[in-house]
Amino acid sequence: MVNKRVPEWLNSSMWSSPTTSHPPPPPKSQSKPQSPPDSPSHGNHTSKPPSVASSESSVNEPRESPPSPGLATARSPFKSGPAGPVQTVQRTEVRDPVVSSGSSDNEISPREDASRQAQLLQELSKKTINMGELQRLASLGIPDGAGIRSTVWKLLLGYLPRDKGVWPSELAKKRSQYKNFKEDLLKNPSEITRKSEESTSSQNGEDKGLLSRSEIPEGEHPLSLGETSVWNQFFQDTEIIEQIDRDVKRTHPDMHFFSGDSASAKANQEALKNILIIYAKLNPGIRYVQGMNEILAPLFYVFKNDPNEDFVVNAEADTFFCFVELLSSCRDNFCKQLDNSVVGIRSTISKMSQLLKHHDEELWRHLELTTKVNPQFYAFRWITLLLTQEFNFADILHIWDTLLSDPEGPQETLLRVCCAMLILVRRRLLAGDFTANLKLLQSYPSTNISHLLYVANKLRS
Amino acid sequence: MVLVLAIGDLHIPHRAPDLPAKFKSMLVPGKIQHIICTGNLCIKEVHDYLKSLCPSLHITRGEYDEDSRYPETKTITIGQFKIGLCHGHQVVPWGDLDSLAMLQRQLDVDILVTGHTHQFKAYKHEAGVVINPGSATGAYSSITYDVNPSFVLMDIDGLRVVVYVYELIDGEVKVDKIDFKKTPTTTI
Repeated sequence: MVNKRVPEWLNSSMWSSPTTSHPPPPPKSQSKPQSPPDSPSHGNHTSKPPSVASSESSVNEPRESPPSPGLATARSPFKSGPAGPVQTVQRTEVRDPVVSSGSSDNEISPREDASRQAQLLQELSKKTINMGELQRLASLGIPDGAGIRSTVWKLLLGYLPRDKGVWPSELAKKRSQYKNFKEDLLKNPSEITRKSEESTSSQNGEDKGLLSRSEIPEGEHPLSLGETSVWNQFFQDTEIIEQIDRDVKRTHPDMHFFSGDSASAKANQEALKNILIIYAKLNPGIRYVQGMNEILAPLFYVFKNDPNEDFVVNAEADTFFCFVELLSSCRDNFCKQLDNSVVGIRSTISKMSQLLKHHDEELWRHLELTTKVNPQFYAFRWITLLLTQEFNFADILHIWDTLLSDPEGPQETLLRVCCAMLILVRRRLLAGDFTANLKLLQSYPSTNISHLLYVANKLRS
Repeated sequence: MVLVLAIGDLHIPHRAPDLPAKFKSMLVPGKIQHIICTGNLCIKEVHDYLKSLCPSLHITRGEYDEDSRYPETKTITIGQFKIGLCHGHQVVPWGDLDSLAMLQRQLDVDILVTGHTHQFKAYKHEAGVVINPGSATGAYSSITYDVNPSFVLMDIDGLRVVVYVYELIDGEVKVDKIDFKKTPTTTI
């Protein structure tokens, strides 16, 4: 028989039609008193989006429901019947600008926000930072207002060491290293030959007469086809540099930070290009693959918007090292030869598929067997680009808070989030055929991010 | 960093069938930004071939060119340098430095590129530099049969030009370079 088991918690409040009774406030994992915020938030539900604004507050509310599975609840459903998904979409559309502004107008959130912020600030102010604690706090979401996201990400990615005392020396070391990379790798051959000549001085003494010919080292002329020739390498790199240039210009065209004619946008694009070119040159095995620019963009954005002036000036260098670190966990996805191997993207996609099967067999069966929507069609982009193309920018930052705070690397959490994305739209998927499902998954509807992350967290079993 | 190829006096098909294979293997599209050709190609096919290497092609008329629409002289500005182009059969005595210097002053250029003698030369005098890329196919000239195939590639980088001379001697490609800096003079 087909196992139609749907996980218990899916049966709960969020999914069923509204009734009027309030569920008893469940025990909280945090120490904050919950009952007073409960009732006003309930009252709010019917008129406002269920979990408005910041991730912290919304993470709060869903946590209240699981202990009451199957209980018909007053909490406004995320999906109530066939009209549900449409409703959700409408509500979250309203929500988005609020999220992106980083403020909230729900009574819970300012308090939650402040508490989260206070905890993070406290953790950051310690002399030696407890990584486990920081990871736990970060996975709940980093408040937008505090300007600490940049520092927290640097810590999570291992760029800044735990011991605060060594930060200045570490940073200086890394930054000068990056400067050397730039000098060595971003030069064109003309400059290189000029530099090497200035050491052996040449004079232009004679006023008249035949110009003297000088020997050149083996194969060091522009048309050289030799492997070791600086010129040949330069021309081979030109292709990659052009590709990088094209992709950088196409990154987030809707954001002023990245695109447009302003001097700052151009400077930012220049920085992105430099980072990608240097990475490509330092990693001849993988060079540059389309999509790396998408992974780089949020990092650079966050680091460039650091309130600390010193960090802003050196954002390019810091971003480079963090980018290297982040990519090291997912570079196997970009390597074409590894596609079919155990560590490659195909295997990762099938892991996600298995995860879905484990948690929601009905949906899995419907997707893969009935409608034959091969996970490669949608999950490829989700996984390789770490979901940067699926949501708007502010949401990406929130998701990345959770992804980066996973001590084992973002991959595991990423698969859970992907699974959660599928489960959240399960009703539409179950009702749809191949075309409808594919269309839905390839342009995933905007959704409540904190709810998504909550669901993803629940899958951790 | 602008790469400019100076080439000429190929005399295809009358005196030579084609460029030497070793030269052809080096001349690939995508590397060179400009080609200046002294003339005497002589046919359209050679023109098309050069055009395929680089879309920016400048040619002056040699006395055997079949296309009579090429100009007698041409002046191009690349970076900080003004480059003059002329086939050279008009300048008598052929290959004479003083007469070429006169042409250079007439055209008011820093680098004058001429051909016709089928011998590579690079002169410097007060007004500037005269470069003769020789014959790229090694075709015999009106003066001599003993011709080595040669052409010139200039790397223009700011006020500095590095001239790479490619010669085919005994079946091997030999490359030398010549450095040339322009003294920044105030233009009147």
